[in-house]
Amino acid sequence: MGLRLANHSSYPRIGESAEGQLLRRTIAQWEKGEKTDADLRAAENRMTELAIEEQVAAGLNVVTDGQIRWYDAISHLAGKLQGARINGLLRFFDTNTYFRQPVITGRLERTGPMVVEEYRFAQQKTSRPVKPVLTGPYTLARLSVAENGTASLFENMLEDYTRVLAEEIAALAAAGARMIQVDEPYLLKRPQDFPALARALDELAARKGSARLSLALYFGDVTALYERLQKLPVDELVLDFTYSPRLVDAIAAGGSDKELGLGLLDGRNTRLEDVGTTTRQLERILKAMGSVSATLMPSCGLEYLPRDRAQLKLKHLLSLRQALEGSRV
Amino acid sequence: MSREKLQQLGLELPVLPTTSVGSFPKPDYLMKARSEYAKGKISRQELEEAERRATEFWIRRQEELGVDILVDGEMYRGDMVAYFAEHMPGFESGGLVRSYGNRYYHKPIIVGEVKWPGPITVEWWKFAQGLTQRPVKGMLTGAYTVMDWSFNEAYPDRRAACLALAREIRKEVEALIQAGAKIIQIDEPAISVRPEELPLAIEAMHLTTDGLPAYFVTHICYGAFEQIYPDMLQLPVDNFDLEMSNSGLDMLALFRQHPYNKDLSFGAVDVHNHQVEAQPVVEERLRQALEVLPKENLWVDPDCGLKTRSVEEATEKIRVLVAAARALRN
Repeated sequence: MGLRLANHSSYPRIGESAEGQLLRRTIAQWEKGEKTDADLRAAENRMTELAIEEQVAAGLNVVTDGQIRWYDAISHLAGKLQGARINGLLRFFDTNTYFRQPVITGRLERTGPMVVEEYRFAQQKTSRPVKPVLTGPYTLARLSVAENGTASLFENMLEDYTRVLAEEIAALAAAGARMIQVDEPYLLKRPQDFPALARALDELAARKGSARLSLALYFGDVTALYERLQKLPVDELVLDFTYSPRLVDAIAAGGSDKELGLGLLDGRNTRLEDVGTTTRQLERILKAMGSVSATLMPSCGLEYLPRDRAQLKLKHLLSLRQALEGSRV
Repeated sequence: MSREKLQQLGLELPVLPTTSVGSFPKPDYLMKARSEYAKGKISRQELEEAERRATEFWIRRQEELGVDILVDGEMYRGDMVAYFAEHMPGFESGGLVRSYGNRYYHKPIIVGEVKWPGPITVEWWKFAQGLTQRPVKGMLTGAYTVMDWSFNEAYPDRRAACLALAREIRKEVEALIQAGAKIIQIDEPAISVRPEELPLAIEAMHLTTDGLPAYFVTHICYGAFEQIYPDMLQLPVDNFDLEMSNSGLDMLALFRQHPYNKDLSFGAVDVHNHQVEAQPVVEERLRQALEVLPKENLWVDPDCGLKTRSVEEATEKIRVLVAAARALRN
């Protein structure tokens, strides 16, 4: 199979058109008591459908639900667990966006599906495979705080988050998910925690059933870790090239035993990547990968871009693939 | 040293001078005028009348409250980066992106060479300064933050965009000085987010301020200060305006480990809380600051801009801040 095209994770939930404002307007009215929970759900559903339609229209082989319902990458998951409450805003990595920090008050328990229903809804809307995305246990634990403020509880938090996410992965696989992406951006801030992440991934991988497991790393330079990542119990590595100026060289030199998600298009900037430069990078990578599959995608979730620019980025994926195919003829 | 600089500039300030970070809440009539202007119902001139009225209101209010160094309150600005982007050739207004929850903003896009179009804030500074004998700060956003909070399609990388902006923003600094501004604040709230880029932010600030005769302040907030302190002291400014109260005065511990060597505008009231602190609470924060910093280097202000508070809350927060500073002067 040739180069696949996929979305990374999130997609803008707002646009300049009246319909693009639907969710924002509905949430504001819901907060004032003017709309019901069912109204809010309907608006989320509609914006999710639009996100999927736009990904399909852009020609993607693999889509996501756009994480339209997520308040943020952390509290959307932690907030559904017993043993966590959601606190104030903190900056999310080096972005100009904020997440609500979980405070861990006791043993974490999964009391119901975290994203399974969201996955089912999205998969009903398209024949293309939908990739559910979970923020990984290591990043969730690093961005949570224990109620009594003791740092020593990190190991416990990681263990708890790993257990509940392993349950969720099993449920997603049972619901029919063919691929599941686990995002662990925090690893690039603390590469010394690699062994702890590897242990957590062992537990997640044990529950994936017939689904393929992807590990996504972004917002940091992944090059120094690249060889070690090849030993992790995942089927695909999704990598952010925008922070990793030497990563193309590393892959060209060493190839990859695992499938790769090639985050060559900057999900944080509106500029469209130069076709010549990017296709040359792709050619070097694909040559080194041989028969191992690769997927071209943005470097991170597209929610950092305005909707019109996110659409252009997705369309650019297709242009790049066409240019690559043209150059091979 | 900074006191000497202030004196050379002809500024005599009391011990523990009081000031504000920049923005104040917009009164209801201005919010209404902005909304009507956006819908095309009123003219630009009518909007500006409302902005002038609100600016005068805040100048008078600060005088009544006894603030020593005033700000114009930024009644004419929406967002601290978008405002400059709207005025500078080279920028295009981008679509909406999410900040958090249900909050969105228009993120500017650098689409060409950025250019200083002539004075941007100078007329507003002159208007505000013309209303009072007390010094009014010139208020700008720094090059690093404008770069970080914009998309960049025109420059090869972040560094090139940042330095180009620094050169252009310098021209606005020069214009403010030409108009008579002696204290100029250049905000860099984004500076602590990528510690590895601190040298770039410092280089940009040199380009913006070097050799210019003014007392420079920079406001930084929401940061992982532990990752950039003490290196951030290399920023060529006289005064850091820092959020202290929202973080439980954590910065003071850093100052104990490595001495702080500039003036400090000490955020003594939390702007993210509706509750107005009791005067003893604010005095205690200042006492703790004075354990670590010399009295002659300490200025007193809120953690951040007060624009998210109500007019009443902002007024009361400034009132308690001034009262606490005065109580500790003696």
